[in-house]
Amino acid sequence: MDGVITFYSSQQVIKAEKVLKKNGCKVILIPGPREISPNCGVALCFEFKKEKEISKILNNNKITFEAIYHYPKAKKMSKWLD
Amino acid sequence: MEKVIYFDNSATSWPKPEKVLEEIKYFLEEIGGSPGRSGHRMSVAASRLIEEVREAVGEVFNYSDTSRIIFTKNITEALNICIFSLLRTGDHVVTSSTEHNSVMRPLRFLESNGSISLSVVNCNSDGTLYPEDVSKVIRKNTRMVMLTHASNVVGTILPIKEIASITMENNIPFVIDCAQTAGALPINIDLGKYKNCVLTFTGHKGLMGLTGTGGMCIGGDINLSPIIFGGTGSGSDGDIQPDFLPDKLESGTMNITGLAGLKAGVEFLLSKGISQVRSHERKLVDRFIKKASQIKGVKIYGTKDANRQAGLISFNIKNLSPSEVGLILDRKYSIMCRVGLHCNPNAHKTIGTFPEGTLRFSFSYFNTVEQIDYSISALEEILKIG
Repeated sequence: MDGVITFYSSQQVIKAEKVLKKNGCKVILIPGPREISPNCGVALCFEFKKEKEISKILNNNKITFEAIYHYPKAKKMSKWLD
Repeated sequence: MEKVIYFDNSATSWPKPEKVLEEIKYFLEEIGGSPGRSGHRMSVAASRLIEEVREAVGEVFNYSDTSRIIFTKNITEALNICIFSLLRTGDHVVTSSTEHNSVMRPLRFLESNGSISLSVVNCNSDGTLYPEDVSKVIRKNTRMVMLTHASNVVGTILPIKEIASITMENNIPFVIDCAQTAGALPINIDLGKYKNCVLTFTGHKGLMGLTGTGGMCIGGDINLSPIIFGGTGSGSDGDIQPDFLPDKLESGTMNITGLAGLKAGVEFLLSKGISQVRSHERKLVDRFIKKASQIKGVKIYGTKDANRQAGLISFNIKNLSPSEVGLILDRKYSIMCRVGLHCNPNAHKTIGTFPEGTLRFSFSYFNTVEQIDYSISALEEILKIG
């Protein structure tokens, strides 16, 4: 899990998590890394190679997100989660 | 508690579905966190819960854009947000003569300080309103139409669909007070089509949730600004209020426990089907009207047609004041109802019961036909005393 999607609002994170999981994408909710997610306390990490697919699903479902990052440090965080 | 007949669901609904208590207990024991604030699993669990409440409420109103479903502490707050954020000095507002004080008081305040001009369209003495009477008073500077879906005093259902069309054509925001109707009858305003509308609701009446919850579903063309500013768990790197929904309008910590209860209440309603709830309440109103109409000395207000009424009915007893009857109903017959002016002097003026007021029976899914019949015999007995 080396990709991170950051958001402005935790409500959008929850919506995104639901929609992406419904579409069969593997995403994990993590505390937002401060240096890339100053706006919102939580973010979603995913496999960065799936970036295009993830981005398409979010846009199709009108989910507002801040940015998508390649963030290899997320591997360390996601290790602690399911 | 001893067996009571609770006919005061317009004030607050009781009892609540059992799942409401279970959900609250579960929240307090297992979830407990503050949503959207921390990254730990208890806070995240609370965030997920709140989104589920938005989705559940969205199903009631047939509105899937959950970021435009805002929670407030009650419907009074939601109505005030609409009024104080949409209106500017010099604006004209249209409302009706059967509105609750949560609509009238803020509007009268703005009228009295010269900020707005107000047109109060008269309803007929049976509570009905003609849409053309609303059209007639619309002006160039009309900036809002605010109406109840059904008055808490007379219960007559207003023609909100027709008025939604009128206001949409004129590009005027239409704010609807669904306090007496959300969860009790289908609200057929498609916010996808009528983007100029706001559907305000309370959580603790027809939606079977707890007091301290309410909110609104905001149509896509309506841009509300906050009247309360503060922490939102977002944009904490700055000290300016966020400009995106729902955060913009939800400063501070919400009544999460209450919202957990609201989720269970709404899920109960959806499991029964709101049309079923409506059908049941309409049957109760119809039965009461038919039986009470046969008693000399009972005067019923409204259209006397259950199809045109929400699940409540105002009436009076000859030679006895509403307070007296209400006390006897409570003490002797264990029937709970609200008497007086119901925070709505104008509705009483409209139906001709000001200043004495009325007795009001208001029903829920949990009331029964047997309770209606019992209350009828109670009224017959009380009349004999009078």
